[in-house]
Amino acid sequence: MPVQSLQNTDVIVPQHTPHPLLPFLQSQSQTTLTRLYQRPSSCLSVFRLLGPIERQLIMNLLWLESALSVATISAWVLPEGKDAYDSALAVMTGLHIAQNSAVKLALNSTFKSSLRQAITGGGSTGSFGVPTDKDGKRQSANIENLDAYALERWETILHYMVSSGQGQNPTKPSQGVLYLLQRSGLMNNAHGPALQITSSGFQFLLHSPHDQLWNLLLQYLHMAEERQMDLVEVLSFLFMLSTMDLGREYSTEPLSETQKAMLEDLRDYGLVWQRKTSSKRFSPTRLATTLTSSSPPLPSSHSTGGSHTADGTGAVALSSGAAQQGFIVLETNYRIYAYTDNPLQTAVLNLFITMKYRFPNLVVGMLTRESVRKALGNGISADQIISYLTTHAHPQMRKNNPLLPVTVQDQIRLWELERNRLKSAEGYLYKDFASQADYEYVLAYAKQLDVVLWENAGKRCFFGTLEGHANVRGFIERRTGSV
Amino acid sequence: MITAYLLWLYRSSTSHAPNWTKYLTCIISAMEKASHLSVIVDLSPTQWHLSAQTSNQYPLSIETFLSQLLAFLNAHIASKHENSLVVFGAFPGKSVLLYSSTELLSDDVPSLDANSYLPFKLVDSTVVQRIMNEFDAIGELDEEPSCALVGAVTKALCYINRITHPSSTTAGVAEDPSIVHDPRILILSVSPDLSSSYIPIMNAIFSAQKLKVTIDVCKVYGPDTVFLQQAAHLTNGSYIYLERRDALLQYLIMSFLSPTSIRKILAVPKQDKIDFRAACFCHKNIVDIGFVCSVCLSIFCQPLPVCST
Repeated sequence: MPVQSLQNTDVIVPQHTPHPLLPFLQSQSQTTLTRLYQRPSSCLSVFRLLGPIERQLIMNLLWLESALSVATISAWVLPEGKDAYDSALAVMTGLHIAQNSAVKLALNSTFKSSLRQAITGGGSTGSFGVPTDKDGKRQSANIENLDAYALERWETILHYMVSSGQGQNPTKPSQGVLYLLQRSGLMNNAHGPALQITSSGFQFLLHSPHDQLWNLLLQYLHMAEERQMDLVEVLSFLFMLSTMDLGREYSTEPLSETQKAMLEDLRDYGLVWQRKTSSKRFSPTRLATTLTSSSPPLPSSHSTGGSHTADGTGAVALSSGAAQQGFIVLETNYRIYAYTDNPLQTAVLNLFITMKYRFPNLVVGMLTRESVRKALGNGISADQIISYLTTHAHPQMRKNNPLLPVTVQDQIRLWELERNRLKSAEGYLYKDFASQADYEYVLAYAKQLDVVLWENAGKRCFFGTLEGHANVRGFIERRTGSV
Repeated sequence: MITAYLLWLYRSSTSHAPNWTKYLTCIISAMEKASHLSVIVDLSPTQWHLSAQTSNQYPLSIETFLSQLLAFLNAHIASKHENSLVVFGAFPGKSVLLYSSTELLSDDVPSLDANSYLPFKLVDSTVVQRIMNEFDAIGELDEEPSCALVGAVTKALCYINRITHPSSTTAGVAEDPSIVHDPRILILSVSPDLSSSYIPIMNAIFSAQKLKVTIDVCKVYGPDTVFLQQAAHLTNGSYIYLERRDALLQYLIMSFLSPTSIRKILAVPKQDKIDFRAACFCHKNIVDIGFVCSVCLSIFCQPLPVCST
């Protein structure tokens, strides 16, 4: 019964996933990391990216001068938290934050002194960015302008991606962004000269803006390695941006050459705003300042959508929690009402629904078998569709428990299972055995090796995997040779 | 033998996650939420004067205390961008809001400098400046009125009530990140028990229980206080009597920084014996044996023929 199995998969709750940047940092050498830890702002940002248990352990060790014996620390750990504690320690040693010998545990001395400095203030590293004085002549960018700028840049990128497959011609982002999209495998030019969105690109579109941002930045870091940029400077600049204050201007004077070059790239992504390319000052946008937090990196998309949302039905969406940009109502009859006039959101929805009507501030569509199968064919999974609908659910929907109608959720998953009925494997078919005894003898041997995929005793044949072939074949040859 | 591709029916296997992994996942997802901390600082000038005397084994002046406290507050904000913090000061006769992360109290934002993180600097300067203002305002009095600790606790509870129930319209929003997860109150006490405040303290404890607020108590100076011990015990918090007063910061971080969800994995010390004595309603004395009215449950230090309440 497929329905039975569906309900069981619901039980598996998503595990606490480490931040996507951490594996990248762990792959770096100890010297790179130690150089990174020399800056208090980097330490603070790395500290915030860690999980809660790691953070508490670091804090416990931060103000101790001498190493602590492992036995003392494990005395704090309750028996049911042992696994969580062990994995936290592994993360800390992987990042070279803690030096873990068998008996003693202590923080990396560079990390310790920098984090202490971050918390108490002082020092002369200037790692939190050098602010500029107020400029009397020109007004500095206010927060609304910065938000609008970041949103415009980010949506340009996403909109370009989503409409690339449909033959439309949206505004192109800059060359650097295009190259990054291509390098990250989100788009490729396999079919002709124009860039086309790939299946991982489709998946990317359904992620939260925060995940999307880190996804791209991670690719940027990989690219920086190849471009022979100093990784420590790239990382510490990103971390510095994340600790800056929104709506202030900072001076470009103390930045290194690498970091000045980065400014240009980050301006294209919408992380940084500058009046002119040659300007001596820059302001971080909300995309940059929320890098190490979980607060929404973009202001509500409704704000830029036009004047229609201000009145009538749009007011419902705006009145309660404008930051929480829920706009989708999903009914049990598979009908979707999306209170939006944002072309990007409409385009993303269009990936998996069939549009019915469009009004100035409302899009109505249906989840149909065809539309969902089209999305599945593009590489989007059922869980991604469901999680997109959940995160963007209208405040009115949030009163329901469960949030999305169960029938619709199950049906989407069933449509996905439909595609997974067949599975292919490469291998060899063994047949035409001389006798039943021969067949059973070889089959028993193959079963011992655990290479049998399918067997049919009536027809005296079985199918083995590719890897097992050499062994099985050798076995048969030895046997025929000996007889 | 021929090479072939075999297709067969694919059955999805289902796994049943054991219950305890589910339990751990719940804890872990709870830990990821932002936490709220209200700190109540007992700022009685007399007690702090006594505490700084060199005749103590570990003298602790208010300056040292404040610098270590500020480091602790910064550590709380550092842990997560969304963590919220409120600081109340209990001065003689009045309680004052010293800092709140949700609203800007003073207009003069400190100038940025390249070596410190702005939110940290904001906390430090606001708290210190406000404490100085309050101390300056205290005149030369013959008799110091008792510290308004209960007032501060009540204000902290009101504040928590306000932020946990932002408004009735968004009550249905379960995953709103701005709703704090497990609010805590940390009381840093130096004054001895004030037996006249028994009833208000008990009322505060009951409202804290109702709001699911954990009350932690750190006794920085002076004898153990009966009422605060009970407050910590009843709200599942921890009460710590500071023995090595030179290690204040380490005590604070190890015992009071972790939100309640982490305390299920990394244990924090709890008191092993609690003084459960109550104060009588007639003379406000703490009594070992009391007489309780069978109708209204009032406590008296001697038997009365007719209940006075």
